[in-house]
Amino acid sequence: MNGGLGKVLCLRNDPVFKQAISLFRCRTFGENPICSMGGFLLSTRRHYKSRPTHGIGRYKHLIQAQETRKKGKVEVRPINVGTDYEYGVVNVHLIAYDMALAESCAQHVHNLCNHYSIKVEESYAMPTKSTEVLRLQDQGNKMFLDSVLTTHERVVQISGLSATFAEIFLEIIRSNLPEGVRLLVKEHTEEDFKGRLKARPELEELLSKLN
Amino acid sequence: MAAPVRRSLLRVAPRWCRLERRSAGLLGVRGLAVEAAPSPRGSPWRLLGALCLQRPPLVSKPLTPVQEEMAALLKQIELERSLYSDHELRALEEAQRLAKQKADLYDEADQEILLVQDVEDMWEQTFLQFKPGARVTEADKKNDQSSLQRKLDRNLILLVKEKLGDQDIWMLPQAEWQPGETLRGTAERVLATLCENNIEAKFLGNAPCGHYKFKFPQAVRTESSLGAKIFFFKALLQSGDFPQPPKQSRHVWVCKEELGNYLKPKYLAQVSRFLLDL
Repeated sequence: MNGGLGKVLCLRNDPVFKQAISLFRCRTFGENPICSMGGFLLSTRRHYKSRPTHGIGRYKHLIQAQETRKKGKVEVRPINVGTDYEYGVVNVHLIAYDMALAESCAQHVHNLCNHYSIKVEESYAMPTKSTEVLRLQDQGNKMFLDSVLTTHERVVQISGLSATFAEIFLEIIRSNLPEGVRLLVKEHTEEDFKGRLKARPELEELLSKLN
Repeated sequence: MAAPVRRSLLRVAPRWCRLERRSAGLLGVRGLAVEAAPSPRGSPWRLLGALCLQRPPLVSKPLTPVQEEMAALLKQIELERSLYSDHELRALEEAQRLAKQKADLYDEADQEILLVQDVEDMWEQTFLQFKPGARVTEADKKNDQSSLQRKLDRNLILLVKEKLGDQDIWMLPQAEWQPGETLRGTAERVLATLCENNIEAKFLGNAPCGHYKFKFPQAVRTESSLGAKIFFFKALLQSGDFPQPPKQSRHVWVCKEELGNYLKPKYLAQVSRFLLDL
């Protein structure tokens, strides 16, 4: 474009025009006048492969690659190693009638684990259980429905808990429990895992037919 | 709070290593029953297992003014943002129907047997009949230190008065370690011999939570006993208590602040390191 302008104006050898052309050259090949041009959207510095800014903003190669979870089951046996007695996979159950309370308590436990660098395998919810409260009527023998209570359970699964720290951790959780939340801590077993899966009546029927 | 706990753990670990080097095989912390080393080559330190029996708080602490304001605000926000529940919808429908009845001036055939108003009155009655327990009990007013009903919102720890030499000292109940049992076994033995009533307590883990080392005064020191090391184990009280009224004031249930009135300074410093008071 500069060349074109030069050709167009080379007919006149006016010093004024020569000054204008030289100024123009400075403006386009020099510093990027962002502020004077009116905004960064008009900047023409793009991150081409040839530029030194190529790949700016790339970060995935710096972090540790996360293991992709497959849909199959993960069998972890408890680790008993010498002096460092470590628990295997431990489930922390928080049971309450109030769902918001149970969830906020589970969130608190999860945050505690993150803070103490304890690995949290997963944090899931067990299916809600409904309890019907039937009361005896004042005058008469008939029972009538008083209320329906829903019990919510949230589980935080932890691994890599050392024996010395487990005691302190348990005490911290126990003393920070809100009112109305029950705490249950136990080791993870096959039954716990199977309890989360839905029952398959066709498979059971076929198995019983085989036997 | 996490940092000092970690530091105390780290400091305990080298003590264990030292014990391992000195008395090969005498360390019962691993949960294995181990035979005693021959005594002339044994360590000059006597091992004692002590029990830190805690009564967990029965009632939650009262809220501070800031917490109360926040709670009230959050409750109001939730109320304003929430949708109507079944009961409230029913109440609105009934109010509309009653207003229509009054306007139309004729009785409709289908009338509810139990109006929402009646149901609410019944609930109000049952609520008034409910009397919650007192937060400040009699024991609080009398400041009876040996009662378990005092300070329902704090952790209470058991202290006993024992004779050491010729002095009566307040301390956590302890017993000497017997070869062939674990240190936690020693603590459980302490629990069993504390009181004729069966006190049930739950131990949270096999590892001790703290330790205290002291040397005997020069007069008592011999070749084989230079001093004693006490390892503390924490247990939570489930049920059971000392017989009331307490005899000769040999035991006391205190909270963390009042420990200073009973324990010696160095002992208190080590004990208060593992006491969690939230």
